[in-house]
Order: sequence, then C-alpha cells, then structure tokens
Amino acid sequence: MSGERMIIDARGSYCPGPLMELIKAMKKVPVGEIVEVLSSDKSSAKDIPEWVRKAGHELVEVKEESGYWRIVVRKKK
Amino acid sequence: MKIALVLVSGEIEKLQAASIIASVASTIGEVMIFATMDGLMAFKKDVVKNRAWKAGELGKSMLSANVPLFIDVLRNAKEVGNLKIYACGMIMDMLNLKKEDFVDVFDDVIGVSKFLEMIEDAKVLFI
Repeated sequence: MSGERMIIDARGSYCPGPLMELIKAMKKVPVGEIVEVLSSDKSSAKDIPEWVRKAGHELVEVKEESGYWRIVVRKKK
Repeated sequence: MKIALVLVSGEIEKLQAASIIASVASTIGEVMIFATMDGLMAFKKDVVKNRAWKAGELGKSMLSANVPLFIDVLRNAKEVGNLKIYACGMIMDMLNLKKEDFVDVFDDVIGVSKFLEMIEDAKVLFI
C-alpha cells in the first residue's frame, strides 16, 4: 500500500453529493486503498456507511470533527 | 438489485427525490427510469431553461438554493452508476415533440410494452 490516501472534500455539498463523490473516487483507486470523504451533511454521515455496507466495502472509521464528519472507507472489491 | 422508476410528476420536489434515489441505487444495482406525462415534460429544453417546474414552498427554496438539480444528479449518476433513462414515445407523438426538444439525458424513446418487458424482474417505484 502506498500509504497515501485519497481525500474527498465534499463539505458544503448536500445528499447525494458526498456519496457520489466518494463513489467516483472509489472507482479510480485500486482494491485495498483507503478513501476518505469529508462531509458537513449529517445525513450523508449516516447514509454513506449504509452504502459502504451494501456495496461490500469496509467502513474504517466515521469521526465527527468540528462542524463536519470524516468517513474513512477501504475499497474491498 | 433492479429498480424501475416511473416518473409521471412534474413537481420539482418529486423530480429531486426521484433523481437522488435513482442515483444512489444506480451505484449498487441497475436502474431504469421511464419519464412520461408531466415527468417527461420536466425535461423539455424550454422548461429547463426557464426553471419552470411546478414548485411548492420547499421546491422554491430548492430552486433558489444552490443545490444540484435533478437533471445534473441524473447525468452524474449515468457517469458513475448503471442508470438508463427512457422517454415515453406516446406523449412525444401526441404533442409532436422530438428527442431534440428535450435536454440530452435520454437513452432511448420507448413505449409502454417495451418498458414493461424491461422491468419484469424489477422493483417499481411510481413517482
């Protein structure tokens, strides 16, 4: 693994913006890589983990920062 | 997962909701949208240009806030996911409209029989 992770800053964008940005990024990176998405939209912070589970990837972390959420996902397939 | 969405409403709130559901679903499964009646007219170039959709209080604030509108949400979903959008041929014939009278999102112009055949094994949402 390269150790570098892709960070998607989707703060300020509404549902489904952050999720769609994440999905675009997930398509680009190789399996095993980690993608982080930053979202100021609370419903996305709740809903992105649901998508990750359904799509069969790994939810590494959901962390509340000041005024936004950091959702960390590992591509599994 | 296979989902079919029958879009008959021209209300911006319903168009927005439909586009969001369709776009997320298209990243996990296969989604087909059949736009007919007012749901088809919502894609007419002049309607889109003038943002002349039927809108309630929420719809009006959506139109004035800077949220991505359903057409952009759908276009984005077509790039990222598995989404096909079909225009209803019957309405187009009746009103003498061509594919060029609509914004460029449609994969094809089809009739009810074709749509019914395509969605045989899909869950159907009627919006």
